[in-house]
Amino acid sequence: MSISTFASILAAEDPSQTHSWIWPEKYELLFGAPASILIFGLLYWKAGPVIKKGMAARTERIQAALDAASAAQASAADDAAQIRQALGDIESERARMLDEASAQAEALLVDGRARISAEAADLEAKADADIIASAARGTDELRAEIARLSSAATEHVVNGQLDASVHNDLIEAFISKVGASR
Amino acid sequence: MSDARIDGYARGLFEIARAEGNLDEVEDELFRFARQVEGSDALRSALTDEFVPAARRQSLVEELLGGKATATTTQLVSMVVGSGRGRDLPAIIDSLVARASSAKNLEVAEVRSAVPLTDDQQDRLKAALANATGKQVNLKVIVDPSILGGIVATVGDTVIDGSVRTRVDQLKSRL
Repeated sequence: MSISTFASILAAEDPSQTHSWIWPEKYELLFGAPASILIFGLLYWKAGPVIKKGMAARTERIQAALDAASAAQASAADDAAQIRQALGDIESERARMLDEASAQAEALLVDGRARISAEAADLEAKADADIIASAARGTDELRAEIARLSSAATEHVVNGQLDASVHNDLIEAFISKVGASR
Repeated sequence: MSDARIDGYARGLFEIARAEGNLDEVEDELFRFARQVEGSDALRSALTDEFVPAARRQSLVEELLGGKATATTTQLVSMVVGSGRGRDLPAIIDSLVARASSAKNLEVAEVRSAVPLTDDQQDRLKAALANATGKQVNLKVIVDPSILGGIVATVGDTVIDGSVRTRVDQLKSRL
């Protein structure tokens, strides 16, 4: 048994069923079609603007969200650029500070070397001067001691030689010398 | 003490000695005593110590000079020391000697010798100094062993040094 035959049998048996299993009855098409057109027209007339307005609002919200996202993206891009610039600045500052520190360290080293050299030269000169002074002092002391001993010896010898006869000779020599002068 | 006061004392002593008629002797004794005072710190202190009573200082002078110098000399020194002018005694006596020499048109010749000079040596030295300086001199001999030997003569600003001490000092300097 075919399907159409089976549907005909069912329709013949149930009065609520149409004669076609696809198309409604003719009177239903006659009244149903205008009613549907009317309903759709009413819907288009009343609900259309609301729906259009809602869609426009939604579009606007979406556009605003897109704009905000775009602005946020631009701001983020700016921030990223600033951060990159700041990073660049930090890097250049770091390089500058490193260069400056290196220059200062080099200057300190040069200065320190010069100062140490000068101090070493001073110490060497002072040591030389001290050695010379010590030698001179030793020589002077030795010379003074020799002179003192020689003087004492001379005075001792002279005193030993000065008897009455020598005294008399000295006095007579003085008188003769003074008398002869003028 | 001021020069005027020293001169005043010297003039007083000079007039007293001249009045007593023994100026030369007194002058000579005073000169030698002045040199002794200059050469002895102990004697100078004893004669100038203000804490020692004047009578004690004067008795010290009399002990030192009594029997060794004329009474005039002893009394003049005692007077100066008793009046508290012992510190200026050498200056007063030098002024007196200069005044006495000037009165006789003589220049004071201070002669230092290590040993005493005989009268003959003093006479010949006086003549030699007069010949050398062109002035008649009043010879004042001081025995000063510190010069070791020879003579140092000072006439006014002129010093004639023939002492052994000076030669030894020169030798020391060269050494």
